[in-house]
Amino acid sequence: MATLQLNNIVKDFGGTQVIKGVDLEVKDREFVVFVGPSGCGKSTLMRMIAGLESATSGDILIDGERINDVGPADRGLAMVFQSYALYPHMTVEDNMGFSLRLAKVPKAERREKVLAAARILQLEELLDRKPRALSGGQRQRVAIGRAIVRNPSIFLFDEPLSNLDAALRVQMRIELARLHEELDATMIYVTHDQIEAMTMADKIVVLQGGVVEQIGSPMALYHHPRNRFVAGFIGSPKMNFLGVEVRGADAEGVDVVLPGGDCRVPVEANGVSSGDTLTLGVRPEHLTLDDQGPLTGNILVIERLGGATTLYLENADSQWTLVADGDVAHRVHDQVRFSFDPACAHLFNGSGEALPHRHRHPLVAIDRKENRAPSA
Amino acid sequence: MKTSKRWLPLTFKIALLTLLLLWTLIPITWMVLSSFKPNDIITAGTPRVFFTPTLEHYTSLFSSGNSLWPYLLNSLFIAGVSTLIAVVLGCMAGFGLSRIRIKGKQHLAFWIISTRMAPIAAVIVPLYLLFRYLYLLDTHAGLIVAYLSFNLPFAIWLMTAFFDDLPLDLEEAAMIDGATKLQAFRYVVLPLMTPGLVTTAILCFIFAWNDYAFAQTFSGPSTQTIPIAAAQLLTQTGIDWGKLLAIGTIVVCPMAIAGLLVKRWLVQGLTLGAVK
Ligand SMILES: Nc1ncnc2c1ncn2[C@@H]1O[C@H](COP(=O)(O)OP(=O)(O)O)[C@@H](O)[C@H]1O
Ligand SMILES: [Mg+2]
Repeated sequence: MATLQLNNIVKDFGGTQVIKGVDLEVKDREFVVFVGPSGCGKSTLMRMIAGLESATSGDILIDGERINDVGPADRGLAMVFQSYALYPHMTVEDNMGFSLRLAKVPKAERREKVLAAARILQLEELLDRKPRALSGGQRQRVAIGRAIVRNPSIFLFDEPLSNLDAALRVQMRIELARLHEELDATMIYVTHDQIEAMTMADKIVVLQGGVVEQIGSPMALYHHPRNRFVAGFIGSPKMNFLGVEVRGADAEGVDVVLPGGDCRVPVEANGVSSGDTLTLGVRPEHLTLDDQGPLTGNILVIERLGGATTLYLENADSQWTLVADGDVAHRVHDQVRFSFDPACAHLFNGSGEALPHRHRHPLVAIDRKENRAPSA
Repeated sequence: MKTSKRWLPLTFKIALLTLLLLWTLIPITWMVLSSFKPNDIITAGTPRVFFTPTLEHYTSLFSSGNSLWPYLLNSLFIAGVSTLIAVVLGCMAGFGLSRIRIKGKQHLAFWIISTRMAPIAAVIVPLYLLFRYLYLLDTHAGLIVAYLSFNLPFAIWLMTAFFDDLPLDLEEAAMIDGATKLQAFRYVVLPLMTPGLVTTAILCFIFAWNDYAFAQTFSGPSTQTIPIAAAQLLTQTGIDWGKLLAIGTIVVCPMAIAGLLVKRWLVQGLTLGAVK
């Protein structure tokens, strides 16, 4: 049982502001992911929560209590480092039991708790080994095991999977999600990989340059990005952007000019009027090949993944990425026409703010647990 | 093609190393071998490779009126204590210097190591005056202080480098596991510092053990070290080659073995596997 609250957190490293006023509320048992390009301050924010770095100003509250001045040892958190940070001179068992040893837990009880955690992570066979005799994936699990043994109020993970190969990363992602279910604990997870964020989070915090760009559920960020940065960062391949002119705007939506005819995007006009320039955003998976479509392009590159095909298109004034079926027969240099459902399109004003959609997507409010069927 | 290109530099390297090896090993081998030769063949015109070894020089070193024992004990005590102090203080100062976040840290570190760069000849007279004033001449403490003045900055500098190499993550992980700074140092940092501590200790010990200039200037009848004993064998009336070579062997051999140990520790990456 633990909640976390950040009030206007600022971090200054010798004159440069790295975190510029972050507010955040983490609910009990929530899985929150900090995501953003590298260097945006994710680790710094997490290290301030852990107590490894002091906040220049602002309040950090755990269960409603201000803990800015509490040392890392006494915050009752556990952290899994990107480097794993296993103690090289200790066996797996001693690594996992180190926190208990410091807390003067008797040896028998210590062993019991370590064994319990080792069982969850299938580490029983490895308890007598030193870290250097483990594979990357095993080290990763020991690091997680060390965190579990501590029975923390909040788990912190700083890019824990980034040193693993792609296949293992997918496997550990699933294992972590299962672990969250099983331990029913509050977890905060840092990554620069938006796929990890989308697949694991109850709530995603998108950071850029030390500023929170948006906080929301994965589906909220995907369907209702608040600005162009979030729209471009969430989703893969990246959203397409095109400068467009406004034809008119009313309560139903905003009409914009496209090369092959006008298009009405169902968003709030928010003061936009005829003649303004906006940015249209459409995700590659929302573009469809369509012989009657308003847009045209010449195929530059085709990436065939089997189940899906990614087309990179170019026309006189823009470039597009389009995701189509696996069995598209087109070839490089073919000229194609394509279209999109205006309800899936986004419009951004001159300062990059999204014009809000008139209808919320039905999946925005979905609870992550509803994606993960069994148990509880 | 590629192999033929690398072939020449490789032969060159091997030739150079062989030359270097001969350059270093021949005098040492000659010294060690000759220390076991009877007096009459040590100075034989053509060096003799086959002979009946004798320990006479060694036994006479330790038995005659002017036994080597006090010199040996002085050397061991003075070098040992000054090394111990240098390593303990160097370890603590090095840890602090490595971990502290202050402006101008490099300048502080450079200033410390720069005190090691002064030539011995430049400090010997001021130290002599200082020691005379402080009644440190002909005392063990005096020589210990003299060696510390060179070994301590060196130990701090070397230990700082070793601590810099140790990932900060480990201490942070320990602190999150509930350790105080001191506990993190004791349970995580220190055990991983063995190679650094041993390397520093051996290098400091070698400096003190080999020194002649300080010992010659600051020691008196009761505090003379082995190099002084060796020098005393070069007398007006003649050179006792047998004893001299035996002393040389006693001085060089422990240090040569220690040198090999340092190499082993330096190469070993104990943190391997801790951090990817
Ligand atoms: N100890 C430090 N001193 C000075 N600048 C730092 C320090 N730690 C991090 N920074 C800077 O803060 C910014 C954010 O770093 P970090 O939180 O590690 O980013 P992320 O984890 O998102 O990649 C970077 O520009 C980095 O250079
Ligand atoms: Mg980081």
